Amino acid sequence: MNIYLRELKARRKSIIFWSIGLFLMDAASMNKFAGFEKSGQATQVFAAFPKGLARAFGLGNVDINTALGWFAMAFMYLLVLVAIHASLLGAGILAEEEQDKTAEFLYAKPISRAKVVTEKLLAALTLIIILNIVTLLSSISMVAAFNKGVSPTQEILLMMAGMFVVQIIFMVIGSAAAAIVRKPKYAGAAASAIMFATFFLSLWLDITEKLPWLKYFTPFKYFDAKIIANHAKFDYAFIVISIGVIIAMLTMTYVSYNARDLKI
Amino acid sequence: MLNMYLHELKQYRRITMIWIVSLVTTAALYMALYPSFAPQLDAMKKILENYPKVLLDALGVGPNVFLSFAGFYSIIMAYMMLAMSIQAMNLGTGIVAKEEHSHTAEFLLAKPVNRTQVLTAKLLAALTILLITNAFFMAAMWAEINFLADILIAGKIFILMTLTLFIVQLFFLGLGFLVSVTAPKIRSVLSISLSTVFVFYVIGVFDSIIGSKAVRYITPFKFFDNQYIINNGSYEPAFLVVEAVFLAAAFTAAYYFYLKRDIRTT
Amino acid sequence: MNVIETKKLTKYYGKSRGIIEVDINVEDGEIYGFIGPNGAGKSTTIRVLLSLIYATSGTATIFGKDVVKFGPEIKKEIGYLPGEVFYYDTMRVKDLLNYSASFYKKDCSKRIKELAGIMSLELDKRIDDLSYGNKKKVGIVLGLLHEPKLIILDEPTGGLDPLMQQTFFNLVREENKKGATVFLSSHILSEVQRLCDKVAIIKEGKIVKIEKMSDLAQSNYSKIKVESKAAIPEGYFDMAGVSGLKTENHSTTFMFKGDINSVTKKIAALDLVSLFVEEPDLEDIFLHYYQ
Repeated sequence: MNIYLRELKARRKSIIFWSIGLFLMDAASMNKFAGFEKSGQATQVFAAFPKGLARAFGLGNVDINTALGWFAMAFMYLLVLVAIHASLLGAGILAEEEQDKTAEFLYAKPISRAKVVTEKLLAALTLIIILNIVTLLSSISMVAAFNKGVSPTQEILLMMAGMFVVQIIFMVIGSAAAAIVRKPKYAGAAASAIMFATFFLSLWLDITEKLPWLKYFTPFKYFDAKIIANHAKFDYAFIVISIGVIIAMLTMTYVSYNARDLKI
Repeated sequence: MLNMYLHELKQYRRITMIWIVSLVTTAALYMALYPSFAPQLDAMKKILENYPKVLLDALGVGPNVFLSFAGFYSIIMAYMMLAMSIQAMNLGTGIVAKEEHSHTAEFLLAKPVNRTQVLTAKLLAALTILLITNAFFMAAMWAEINFLADILIAGKIFILMTLTLFIVQLFFLGLGFLVSVTAPKIRSVLSISLSTVFVFYVIGVFDSIIGSKAVRYITPFKFFDNQYIINNGSYEPAFLVVEAVFLAAAFTAAYYFYLKRDIRTT
Repeated sequence: MNVIETKKLTKYYGKSRGIIEVDINVEDGEIYGFIGPNGAGKSTTIRVLLSLIYATSGTATIFGKDVVKFGPEIKKEIGYLPGEVFYYDTMRVKDLLNYSASFYKKDCSKRIKELAGIMSLELDKRIDDLSYGNKKKVGIVLGLLHEPKLIILDEPTGGLDPLMQQTFFNLVREENKKGATVFLSSHILSEVQRLCDKVAIIKEGKIVKIEKMSDLAQSNYSKIKVESKAAIPEGYFDMAGVSGLKTENHSTTFMFKGDINSVTKKIAALDLVSLFVEEPDLEDIFLHYYQ
């Protein structure tokens, strides 16, 4: 527990910063909705767009005239922000001991590397949960504020559950990257490169209907907010894939981290 | 000073190559979508012609502009701008901050050079890296456009649109320099640059949807309106002025603070 | 019982050499010196012993247990002071000490107070604000606070002033008297000489010699320094048993091994200003192995 607690303490400031950031983002995007709602007729134009074009604007299959529909569109960007956070956290929490040269201190202690990884990942998970709850609460209240007091809580809960899974996926991709790359300072870069590659893939998939199976390769497509907003449910195939990816990345993290020389 | 400049270029050689390859690949993949996209555009043209012109202009979707290849290319540029801004911000923040992070600041500043020279060498190296990246990117895009048949875009428009990437990169380079010399201690260059760039990006996204004007002065992602470029064959002077003022202020402040502050060692 | 035992311990970093077939046995209660120049493989050996890095081949055991398989278990009884000390910058000294103590399932608070007193540490300061020497002191306290049975010290005295070095050596000796085994790596010969019972000399990754300190010191070498009124003719001391001859103006130094009478006769024939006959220190012997 001591490593877990130290990690939480050391990351106190950063999580506060991220929470405020996400809250502001949430508030700002819903505030935009208020301005948008007044101008009204814009959606009529978008409604006439062929699918591919509308999706290029991030507007596929969703009615942005409603607060929930608008939020579903904004959700994508909240998702990228928490994905950045999760990737860097997962990579950083493992790589930092080596980068800051405290590895010699920590690993001379009577504790196995597996236990260190477990405590660190639990700390990361805790931070991710905190960020998720902050986003959940601010989303529910913000959507309610611009939806005449009514908040579609169930849909938002589902979106945030999806966001949570995506956060975990990127966290373990980050930790696997930190366990595998030889130079710890490249761990964060590798993790965020993967994150952005999948983000650009999902943007690509938004425009085209070619190669639809590629969506299995980008977590940003796993929990499509637009589908959740319309149908209030997940696509369960993606839950299975998510669990598979998480288990694979965790295995890689533990095995590789245990097997390699620490960089001192 | 030349030795520091060359040293920085050498340090960034590999990462710059990785950036160039991934940028060109990503853009090429997006561009490859155009042939399947083109028929949709023709259908759209007919629909849009029925809408009042004022409304379409406000939304930035005038039929002759939005539905041309240039319009399609501008969507790609928007995505590339995001990626390349990250490169620039990372570079700007990292090139100064890394000396303290890897405990080499003492080494460097004990040499018979003054801090102005250090910062200038780093700035010139960063500019060179960005110029090289953009040169490769522009050449690759032009090659691909010529490779995909039936695509028409005026050379001047192409250059103007592609060059916006470099100008926006300059903005983030300046911001990166400013952050790295003013921030008390930079734990992770990546998290600062990723979150900063992304926040600017999202501000831009929301406001393009509702068409707010004021926000265009805040986020460099909206300094350049591709529709304007296509119609007028030039940039909007007001935003070039905003950019120039920002850069002048950012670099002046960067030099000022870098000369004044205590360098942190170990 | 051997506290540390390595058999043909070898570590390559890719293709570059770390250590090659290192065999050492450190017995219970010993103060064991591990000496060699920079880059000889001292830190590599220690890091393999702590399973921070893994051996390419060969085995290493501590307290009779394999260092990789039983890593966490044996580290309960190890105190380690690394050569370069880096800690969590933003923590306060006392928080770091408590954090370190929290890994050992025993109450270390009394010992922390005691050691901090001896080392005159300021417990409320942030690690960030400490000088290099003070960080080193923190490292010493960290290495000893849980009263380990095996103390591993990697270049321990760098950054400490002579007074602190003395305090530190006394501490180590005290721990040793209480029963702790000490493994001390260093390139500073005098500190090994002052402290150690046995010494292993490592050169380019290989152990070149292991000897008891007493044997090493008593090897019948003498170090002789002669200062004469007139210049000593060149080749005057060319004789069996003389090595490392150095002449500067009217003074000559050399090492001698063999029948001491043969050399005193030669010296007696000179008109002397001064004469020193000393036991050679480790440095002189050390230079021997590196020539």
